[in-house]
Amino acid sequence: MKKIINKRAQEEMVGFALIIIIVAVILLVFLAVSLNKSKEEVLGTNEVSSFVQSILSYTTSCAEYQDNYYSIQKLIIECNNYESDCLDGRKTCDVLNSTLKGIVDESWPVGENTPIIGYEFFITVNDEVLIFFEEGNKTLNSKGSPQPFPHSIDIYFTAYY
Amino acid sequence: MIVIKNKTQMKTKKAQMKIQQTAFMLLAITIFFVLVGLFVLMFKMGSMQDTAEILERDNAMSLVTKLANSPEFACGSVFGTQKVDCIDADKVMALKQNSAIYEGFWGISNIEILKIYPGSEENVECNIITYPNCNLIRIKEGELTGYSVSNFVSLCRKESFEGSPYNKCELARLMVSYEAIE
Repeated sequence: MKKIINKRAQEEMVGFALIIIIVAVILLVFLAVSLNKSKEEVLGTNEVSSFVQSILSYTTSCAEYQDNYYSIQKLIIECNNYESDCLDGRKTCDVLNSTLKGIVDESWPVGENTPIIGYEFFITVNDEVLIFFEEGNKTLNSKGSPQPFPHSIDIYFTAYY
Repeated sequence: MIVIKNKTQMKTKKAQMKIQQTAFMLLAITIFFVLVGLFVLMFKMGSMQDTAEILERDNAMSLVTKLANSPEFACGSVFGTQKVDCIDADKVMALKQNSAIYEGFWGISNIEILKIYPGSEENVECNIITYPNCNLIRIKEGELTGYSVSNFVSLCRKESFEGSPYNKCELARLMVSYEAIE
């Protein structure tokens, strides 16, 4: 009789332990899902997309003719087509590269006194890399996404925090 | 007679034990679930606060974008095709002269545009005399309280070369300060 009571008590203990384990597993799953969700929300790309949109309109120092200067968007196309140089003889790709580097360095300064640890910038035309430069280190916490534009141009900018 | 009484007493005791056992079990399970509920509630409250902060930041960012694309600021099709996040600097300078008319229109305490590229060592505020050789346009000068947000924009204006006009766009940041809603 005593043995049967002991066995029943043991069974109940096992049942209780099972409930605790199941609830703990459910909680862990819930925790993991919630943490992943909040991480995705932090990765806002509004600032980066505005940055990319804005640099495309930037007027470069490369003149097409006397009072008409190329914008970054037009310079990307010119650089890709190798049709002509700037009016002052500079190569369109050189001007594009130096202008973009200057803009990104000034807008997303990498250093100890800034929250930005590094960045990566590249432009592809028809899936071929036209311009590529990077600075600093890459981390898991980043901001940015690829942005497609007409003429099969894709601009990728990622800032690492 | 005594045997029957003893048997009934034993049965009652056994039943009482069973009831006690079940009560303890129910109590333990209830306490456990209450603790679990408290943990989930605490976690949810924490994430709700984070979500509120993210939403507030997103709203502020949308406000800046909305402002940049509003008729008072936007380039429209003056500089070729329609552009997003493009501010007409000439229009903004005219707006700066008449900022008193727009008092309370945007519900923002401070609006500034800072030229980023090409950069300069120190900030030169834009006015009728310094424009366009300046890098800071203060449209609305209020107290810098509450939240401040900024976003990238292209700042375009008409320049002239030997009498003929051409478009010049630079990179700038539109900065906005506004009071937090309690």
